[in-house]
Amino acid sequence: MDGEELELFERSLRHATASATGAELDAALVELGWHDALEVDRRASVALLFGLQGEAGSTSAALDHLVATATGLAAAASTGVVLPAIDRWDPPGVVHGRTLQVAGLVSSAGAECPEVVVAATAGDALVAATVPTESLGLRPVHGVDPWLGLHQIPAREVALPAEPTPVEGSWTDAVAAARLALAQQLVGTSRTMLRLAREHALDRVQFGQPIAGFQAVRHRLAETLVAIETAEAMIDAAWLDGDPGTAAMAKAVAGREARVAAKHCQQVLAGIGFTTEHDLHRFVRRALVLNGLFGSAKSITSAFGAELVESRQLPPLLPL
Amino acid sequence: MDIDEYRAAFDAWLDDNREQLAPAYEGKGTLDEQMAQIAKVKRLAFDADFGRWGWPERVGGLGGSTLFRAYLQEAVTARDLVEPGLFSMQEVLAPTMIDFAAPELAATMVARLLRGDETWCQGFSEPGTGSNLGSLSCRSVRDGDTWRVTGQKVWTSLAQYAQRCVLLTRSGTPESAHRGITALFLDMDSPGITVRPIETMHGSLEFSEVFFDDVVVPAERMLGAEGQGWSVAMDLLPYERSTALWQRAAFLHSRLQRLLEVAPPGSLDPLKLGEVTQTLYAFRARSRGTQHRMASGAPLGSETSIDKVLLATAEQAVFDLVADTLPAEVTVGDDVESHLWRTEYLYSRAASIYGGSSEIQRNIIARRLLDLGSDR
Repeated sequence: MDGEELELFERSLRHATASATGAELDAALVELGWHDALEVDRRASVALLFGLQGEAGSTSAALDHLVATATGLAAAASTGVVLPAIDRWDPPGVVHGRTLQVAGLVSSAGAECPEVVVAATAGDALVAATVPTESLGLRPVHGVDPWLGLHQIPAREVALPAEPTPVEGSWTDAVAAARLALAQQLVGTSRTMLRLAREHALDRVQFGQPIAGFQAVRHRLAETLVAIETAEAMIDAAWLDGDPGTAAMAKAVAGREARVAAKHCQQVLAGIGFTTEHDLHRFVRRALVLNGLFGSAKSITSAFGAELVESRQLPPLLPL
Repeated sequence: MDIDEYRAAFDAWLDDNREQLAPAYEGKGTLDEQMAQIAKVKRLAFDADFGRWGWPERVGGLGGSTLFRAYLQEAVTARDLVEPGLFSMQEVLAPTMIDFAAPELAATMVARLLRGDETWCQGFSEPGTGSNLGSLSCRSVRDGDTWRVTGQKVWTSLAQYAQRCVLLTRSGTPESAHRGITALFLDMDSPGITVRPIETMHGSLEFSEVFFDDVVVPAERMLGAEGQGWSVAMDLLPYERSTALWQRAAFLHSRLQRLLEVAPPGSLDPLKLGEVTQTLYAFRARSRGTQHRMASGAPLGSETSIDKVLLATAEQAVFDLVADTLPAEVTVGDDVESHLWRTEYLYSRAASIYGGSSEIQRNIIARRLLDLGSDR
């Protein structure tokens, strides 16, 4: 997409993510052609939508779509996708004969579908197991962020109504695609926290001046921008080199830096930011859950570090 | 020539001339040895044209993308041919000369710096003027066709080696603040200049105090117009905070790789190692973006303060990990490699101070990037 096209697309997406969420946002995405745009300019489509979802605090089935298309799981609109449980990134299912062991999460859109597909390991192979949604015993997640609309699958065994089908795509690619999208959503979430904290710092007067005049406050906000730009740079690197390892780094950095942003912004917003009368809390909550999806900063980083210790070899630096 | 062609050609040249380019010393070398090595590498690279690409033709360059310069810096650093911080000083001073010196002056002088025939220094900070650059007081008085300079500078890197100095002086009244500053390009062998090197914590005489006692500078050595010195400084600082630091990611990458190779089993905390590596890669990604913006012709400004904060964070994170992983080497080791780890650890402490402290960078971010208004 070129400059003008991109600008128009961004405007439409900004309007859609700000005015709708859940099923309504999904309908709007179909209408404005996000799924087609994804085929034409994957990076711009993912970065814009997920960044804006993060900024607005809205949700859609776009993450399900990315996971489904990367793995080549049946992507009928009427089929939901099972996501790994919090802080996990292996395929959410294991198939033994005609039995599926599954644990994980389902989005609000997925929970509405009559069937869901589960990426599962069967020996060394990756298969797609499709099961009736009602067989999973879905339970709406209240948790720290009920507005995200996730549903929990309590770990269970399900009888497969049909033979699972082989999957052509790779789970590694699905994880990388999901992580890049979630990293961008975390950055968007952080940007809103910074916007809210900045507005408060300029409005709130103490000792006869806006608290934005105090260096202790200014430096927290400056550190928040540094945190956001750090995550953006890492996401940029992941798109540039296309390596799943770099996407993992981007997700870890974005998760960690969103926590940094939440810490600083919550402190600047002080009392009012600790109430439900101000919007900040929704973004603090959202950042916590997004950090956990497809691996938290801590888990991804520990696994990465352990690999480095084992191989004693750093990945190559991003070339100029 | 595009960047891939440059990269391939330069890498081949570095391989072919490996013996000639190699330093004559083991480990870090003395400052004299480092400076001689830098001059040698610059001369060889310049004479083979690689040191000329990316610089304008009017100052002896061969034109082309500034990415060529970035790759040269990175490649000589990754191969451990030069001390990266000292080598990259031309990335701070040459662009300023090109932008502000009279064309004939720039044409004569810049090539000497690029070829390693000369070393230049940067006279900005003073005993009473650190973070508050606008308060500088080193006095310059116009006297016919000359300026007469009296005062003192400090933290002037490589002053004892330098043939020239880019100097900020107070030409206006003491109250004129940033409006009354004039930049001069002076010869360091002018009568009246005294250089007193200061030993740093990491054992180097890298910077000095410089005293000026009625030093005469010809008027054509002015950079920009009289009273325009603040613009010169504002033009220079973004380079010092970003593109001149580009090679440090390559340096830190090679040191972290070495740490992985020598760390005793069980000494590296995987979570910490993973985090440090991610921080370094994020700095690299940020820095790469800045290089590409400069290559596209975009002016560099306040956003480079983020690059500088990230460099300081990454460099200190890498060497904190070194200190935690190799405690004996860093504290009581007296072999060549231990000395190197210790020296680099100590030098990393300066990363959040030089080129504008991390606090000053945050002030700039708050004021210019977040538009929080004045803090005074």
